[in-house]
Amino acid sequence: MKRTAGLWLLIGLAGYALLPWYMVSGGVFSLGWVVDMTGKGAAPAFWQVVTQGKWWLAGPLPAFAAVALVQGFARGQLTAARALVGAAAAGLGLLVAQGLLIPGSAARFGWIAGEGQPGMGAGAAITALALLLILTTGISGLGRGRGDAFVTGLIGLIVALVAIFVFYPVAHVLIRAFELKGGAGYGVSEFLGRFFSANLWGLGCLAGGECGPAVNSLVLGVMTGAGTTALGLAFALIFTRTGFRAKPVLRVLTIIPIITPPFVIGLALILLFGRAGTVTEFFADTFGWEKTRWLYGFGGIYLAQMLSFTPIAFLVLIGVVEGVSPSMEEASQTLDADRWQTFRHVSLPLMRPGLANAFLLGFIESLADFGNPLVLGGNFNVLSTEIYFAIVGAVADPAKAAILSIALLVMTLGAFLVQRRWVGRKSYATVTGKADSGRHAALNPALRWACYLTALPWAAFTAAIYSMIAFGSFVKLWGYDHSFTLEHYIRAFSVSFANGIRFTGSAWDSYFTTLTIAGISAPLTAFVGLATAYLLVRQKFAGKEAFEFSTMLSFAIPGTVIGVAYVMAFNFPPIELTGTSVILIIVFVFRNMPVGVRGGIAAMSQLDRSLDEASIMLGANSFTTARRVIAPLLGPAILAALTYSFVRAITSVSAVIFLVSARHNMATSFIVGRVENGEFGFAIAYSAVLILTMLAAILILQLLIGKRRLRRADRVEA
Amino acid sequence: MLNKTQKGSVRFESVVKSFGEVTALRPLDLDIAPGTLVTLLGPSGCGKTTTLRLIAGLESATEGRILIGGHDVTHLSATYRKVSMVFQSYALFPHMTVIENVAYGLTVKRMPKAEAHARAEEGLEMVGLAGFGKRLPSELSGGQQQRVAVARAIVLEPEVLLLDEPLSNLDAKLRRHVREEIRQIQQRLGLTAVYVTHDQEEAMAVSDRIIVMKNAEIAQEGTPRDLYERPASAFIADFIGDANLLPCEVTGHSADGTFIRLGDDNVILSTAKAPVGSASLVLRPHQVRMSRTPAPGTFAAEVSYAAYLGNQIQYTLTSALGEVFAVVPPGAEPFATGDSVFVGFPSAEVQLVPAVAADQYMTK
Amino acid sequence: MKKLSSISLAAVLAVLAAPAFADELNVVCSNEQDWCDLMASNFEAATGIDVAMVRKSTGETLAQVRAEAGNPKIDVWWGGTGDPHLIAAAEDLTEASGADTSALLPWAVNIAEISSGKTIGIHAGALGIAYNADVLAEKGLKAPACWKDLADPAYKGEIQVANPNSSGTAYTELATLTQLFGEDEAFKLLAEIGANVNQYTKSGSAPSKAAARGETTISIGFMHDMVNLRKSGFPLEIVAPCEGTGYEVGGVSVIKGAKNPDAAKKWVDFVLTAEAQQAGLQVGVYNVPSNSGATLDPDSPDLSSIKLIDYDFATYGASDTRERLLARWDAEVKGAGGAVEE
Repeated sequence: MKRTAGLWLLIGLAGYALLPWYMVSGGVFSLGWVVDMTGKGAAPAFWQVVTQGKWWLAGPLPAFAAVALVQGFARGQLTAARALVGAAAAGLGLLVAQGLLIPGSAARFGWIAGEGQPGMGAGAAITALALLLILTTGISGLGRGRGDAFVTGLIGLIVALVAIFVFYPVAHVLIRAFELKGGAGYGVSEFLGRFFSANLWGLGCLAGGECGPAVNSLVLGVMTGAGTTALGLAFALIFTRTGFRAKPVLRVLTIIPIITPPFVIGLALILLFGRAGTVTEFFADTFGWEKTRWLYGFGGIYLAQMLSFTPIAFLVLIGVVEGVSPSMEEASQTLDADRWQTFRHVSLPLMRPGLANAFLLGFIESLADFGNPLVLGGNFNVLSTEIYFAIVGAVADPAKAAILSIALLVMTLGAFLVQRRWVGRKSYATVTGKADSGRHAALNPALRWACYLTALPWAAFTAAIYSMIAFGSFVKLWGYDHSFTLEHYIRAFSVSFANGIRFTGSAWDSYFTTLTIAGISAPLTAFVGLATAYLLVRQKFAGKEAFEFSTMLSFAIPGTVIGVAYVMAFNFPPIELTGTSVILIIVFVFRNMPVGVRGGIAAMSQLDRSLDEASIMLGANSFTTARRVIAPLLGPAILAALTYSFVRAITSVSAVIFLVSARHNMATSFIVGRVENGEFGFAIAYSAVLILTMLAAILILQLLIGKRRLRRADRVEA
Repeated sequence: MLNKTQKGSVRFESVVKSFGEVTALRPLDLDIAPGTLVTLLGPSGCGKTTTLRLIAGLESATEGRILIGGHDVTHLSATYRKVSMVFQSYALFPHMTVIENVAYGLTVKRMPKAEAHARAEEGLEMVGLAGFGKRLPSELSGGQQQRVAVARAIVLEPEVLLLDEPLSNLDAKLRRHVREEIRQIQQRLGLTAVYVTHDQEEAMAVSDRIIVMKNAEIAQEGTPRDLYERPASAFIADFIGDANLLPCEVTGHSADGTFIRLGDDNVILSTAKAPVGSASLVLRPHQVRMSRTPAPGTFAAEVSYAAYLGNQIQYTLTSALGEVFAVVPPGAEPFATGDSVFVGFPSAEVQLVPAVAADQYMTK
Repeated sequence: MKKLSSISLAAVLAVLAAPAFADELNVVCSNEQDWCDLMASNFEAATGIDVAMVRKSTGETLAQVRAEAGNPKIDVWWGGTGDPHLIAAAEDLTEASGADTSALLPWAVNIAEISSGKTIGIHAGALGIAYNADVLAEKGLKAPACWKDLADPAYKGEIQVANPNSSGTAYTELATLTQLFGEDEAFKLLAEIGANVNQYTKSGSAPSKAAARGETTISIGFMHDMVNLRKSGFPLEIVAPCEGTGYEVGGVSVIKGAKNPDAAKKWVDFVLTAEAQQAGLQVGVYNVPSNSGATLDPDSPDLSSIKLIDYDFATYGASDTRERLLARWDAEVKGAGGAVEE
């Protein structure tokens, strides 16, 4: 314990005395601040205290001193641990107080009037991190977390990150739900009336009228969750339990929809099934059917969401379906169960955590989806679009946006609790340390055909949609002038070779920015997500359920709300991030982390706990265990988390619209602008390039990480 | 080099473990001498596995102190305790080869790979699996996997080796073979070993001492012989070896022994001791003597079931004192179901234990 | 071990120390992307100031400007309909640029006067009706020429228009009809048209795009959007309603507390010049520039040939009028039915 604490003390002191406390222009890596160490702006906190009399920056000093004293003199583990906890907590408290009480321009309270501070920088970040980890190391010394400093440190770190990057910004938005009219402060009186109003929860559609957006969202969410889970399962079963020949093709088709910016699917659907769509025209001409606008409304959104979110269910389920131990299926068959009974009573129940998590993700994605309802919604109002227009519409109503967001959160919380009950406390461990070498039971013919008949037409449908999209990028005017052209690609991605290579196409800037940001955020997202899953599955600590739910928050709230929340929270000191690329990375990490969490939980609950314990007993610490035992066995979950977060960083629109800046523009927001301008060919061509880029990235990832090395014969009964 | 293993003692001082409302261990004091193999024995839920996990550091004590090799390790995490464990499920890492599994503990301690593999190979040799290193766990039989798990634990030269029902996944024949191997290795290396099982025969076979646990506390501890020959309670008598528990009344003592009243008879037991009052007579199945004629100190019974097993004959007898289970050698006079018999026993060998409630009288 | 993960985290946190403080001009552009890019490079060429530009819709920009109030990251906001610019001015989110408006057309000056100079008109676009000629012919319908034609029951389910609660375009339409016919008469007409509406879209430009592709037959929207679609090759016919029509005025505003106020003012001066404005022709900008000296594209809807009403921006831009009209719209138009999917 003391060694770890000592290490962090040194790091903390270095941060405090050597790195600039506040943000410096050009960034800390530009090193411009080094020459200006003692200057007003770039000075480390220590120098600001000593030479500029900024006593309020002195908070961490006594804490570090106390920690040093503990290192030198404290006898007895418990005494030392208690002292560390006390000192570090006090230091952190002072640091946070300094950050919050002395805002950008003038002190929030009069007593240090006239003084201001810019956003905190590298020095503050390192100091805070060191204090936090000294605190958690101390806590581990008290015997918590089985005395494992890595575990307590990880918990502390993730709790702190979630608090700063989820709770803090979201609170900024949600508090406005309780704002009283005319700036009269806050209260629940107006909130209750608006929250429970019939405008939100009305059931008029049962009587032929319109339902409230909350009801619409709920119905849509449940249907999408159930539908994507069923389809995802059908695909997963085909992959693991049948000898289907064209698996690689199917694989691509299952992945491709998530790597598609949402409005592209909407556009393709309109061109196929809209009133003037190809399919509609065909049926109208052949059978004399009336051309209708059925696509605009529930039907269209549902179709688009099924297309968009089935891959997510598939990604979660494939790992779980693969993970079900063959010996359990063999055991069932030796007990005279036939293949259907084996599936129904053994395999399917063992997939429960996977099914539950797939449903939960589908449900939440549907609730928060904004692109599809926007394009195809018709008069079918859902919460996400209502929220968007409450923020950016002709009449901005932040209170309404906040209230609708709360309604959305209530539904998410409900789904989360239902899911918890359904999965229950049973054990789903099927990868134990006792090696088995059995074979997965093949599906019985009826089930196999059921899978084929659901999944294959769907795959064909997906293929049709994407052919349309590819087609659209090579014609002059999609839907009207179908003469072949490469003009869209040339405008977006032209390269000039005169005087060396110059990227002259208009898309290059946003393309490179997007790839860089997605490339940075994806591994971070996967790491934070899987680390959280590890804590939730493998560790016991107080407040675990609340912790688990809090990690779902940022995912459940529509991107628009998150975007505005981030602007409101991080536009001012102590944490000033707007206009940087960091804010984009952070928003992606914390918005997409829940997928890593869900996938990680599903996969990790299949790993027998004795594997970790064996590793610990062999003298590995929790970190080594996580790295050498758990991580290799979580191959598919890591792949899923990486893939998904990379892709989401590239395709998400709503969250980034407020966060992109001139220097850091993202591809999607660039494309949306083109779509708004009616330049569909250009937008589709750009999207097609993005899709290919992501596909290539996914294939590379898959090659790198490969299949989970369970090393059991991966065969299916003939 | 494996024979220089450090010996470690294990000591519990008033250790309490509770999971929320549930108490898994009442204040427990325990002393395990270095170099011995001690078995924690008891029915499921008795706290034996919790005790083992407390020694391992996989659970932390709610109260009390735990010392290993004289050092307080109560707050030390499992990683840093010099303790290894063989799991019931073996917990072999499925993605590593046998040699990688065995060398794992060494490599995480930053031993160079070549050296670690050499040591692991020695360990495999010790469990008779030399040359199996390149295989995957899934390519080994259950017994081989089990031995890999043992090798993986002992190459670390732990102060204490913990074994959590290590044989429960093996078939009966293999079980005897492997437990002998484990015992030999333990003795050869002079390891302190703590062994958890619910199988009394296994416990008797391998242990220096046995700690029998019941309801989150220790019921009795001692050498296998102590427990079998001098059970302290009806529970121990019944749990360690089969026992018929017959209700009796201790009426007095003399230089010849203890006077008891068994049914209508008065009997003197020369070695058994118990205070005056009601008690239970511990009659081992092999101590039962059956004859067709009555004699002093016998009681009447009827054969309700007979089974010929080749090396022995088993009888279930019904009597006024309850059901009696008997095992006799095959050469003895055979009885048939329905025969009336008289049951006697060697009065110098049987033991007395405190009486148990009437409804608990039954044979297994 | 733990060090590794925390070092990577520390690295990320350390980048926090890199906001954009460089000397440059941060522009949010709410016009078409090509027009944005062209103006930015022309400005850079003319002044040597480095422009960082991002394109966002007006609603999004306004929401961001509100959220960033007090510490804005944007210096100047150029383009988009005038209403959000006027709202930003009313909420004191922008500040007067002091630019010279003497060369501008009256409606552009009018906007500047209403907002005390905080926003200045840069272009105007008239509201119009568009129909898909192919679909109209196929259905055997006659082309609409006036607002009142749209109330014809023959058009049932053929008209698409945006919802004024979310779309500034639709609000302009609502205000236009109110000014043309008087409030009561206007709402009666809107309800009658509403019976023919197949969908109230969220976005103002969506109806014309749908009409272009034949997803609906008739749309209401801004004529410059329609011209754009028509130029792309869609069979869209554009109608200037016979009763007269309203228009929007696009604005340019300097954000209050801008980090680069001088450069921002230079930008405003620049975009008001005739040369800068008529450059829009190169990239197909079909609305009417506010500088009287700028030349027009022959395809542009010529405002002089269209019967324009004297749009009262002061009254109809005020938030109490807005709230009253929208509440009435919800009750009398939306509530009156329509929005039928066939």
